[in-house]
Amino acid sequence: MAQLITWDAVGDRFYETGVDHGVLYPQIPDGTYPVGVAWNGLTNITESPSGAESNPQFADNIKYLNLLSVEEFGATIEAFTYPNEFAVCDGSAFPELGVAVGQQPRKPFGLCYRTLFGNDTEGTEHGYKLHLIYGALASPSEKAYQTVNESPEAITFSWEVTTTPAPVTGLKPSASITIDSTKVDPADLAALEVILFGVTPATAGRLPLPDEIITLMNQP
Amino acid sequence: MAQRLNLQTLLEDLLDSENVYFQPPPGFLMAYPCIVYNRSNIRTKFADNMPYMHRKQYTLTVIDGDPDSAIPDKIAALPASLFDRHFTSENLNHDVFNILF
Repeated sequence: MAQLITWDAVGDRFYETGVDHGVLYPQIPDGTYPVGVAWNGLTNITESPSGAESNPQFADNIKYLNLLSVEEFGATIEAFTYPNEFAVCDGSAFPELGVAVGQQPRKPFGLCYRTLFGNDTEGTEHGYKLHLIYGALASPSEKAYQTVNESPEAITFSWEVTTTPAPVTGLKPSASITIDSTKVDPADLAALEVILFGVTPATAGRLPLPDEIITLMNQP
Repeated sequence: MAQRLNLQTLLEDLLDSENVYFQPPPGFLMAYPCIVYNRSNIRTKFADNMPYMHRKQYTLTVIDGDPDSAIPDKIAALPASLFDRHFTSENLNHDVFNILF
């Protein structure tokens, strides 16, 4: 008897790879992210959700129910460099041009980056995913400067990021949204990318909040 | 191109002569002491799904009849320079270095 389920069919061998198109959106006091700037030199972004831990409850000599703790979203960003606008998100203040004072309050930020979504027939041309992160706060990180030697290496900066979720109507608050280019309407995706990345200097990119994205993707 | 020419100028200054040869063809008549060098590698670092930066590595050979020549010491003092090996051939001392420039 032939099986209905097939494995590894041509065109169905999907994978994800790469990271690029990083954009930083510093948050302003009203909670929005009005201006995006390119984040060059991204080498790694590791998404590290935590929480959702099982807390079993026993009663009547049986496992009665299983409570889960709240889930949190965290990440680690690694890059060769960072945009100037990130300095205030990394605890620096600038009393004078070119003078950075550390150990200052850290500004929350949003982040957008792209990962490639490939398959066996089209490779990485198959599609991509846009990852949007809200309410991120970077922790202090080590910067290991090293003498120039016969094998000089550029420093890879690394920041641990924790998040505060943004409200989502009808759902629990979330700090992470992923847009799959192979599933959403291409026109809606193009409209979102105009918002995220901007088109002219007068209309700089911005990070829309989750409700705006869901509304945009729901356009007829 | 410009970077390589800067290295050429630096080596000529160190040697205090123009006997600095970049990838000379076989049979090329060289005057000694001299420095022969060629590009041996390009080190690339990747970011943003593309080659983000690269540096060229050159292999330099100092050729001098004087076994106590000061030229290898000058090459060894350059930033990102690393001595590789020494050998003699036809009564000439060869000191090979790798340098990122």
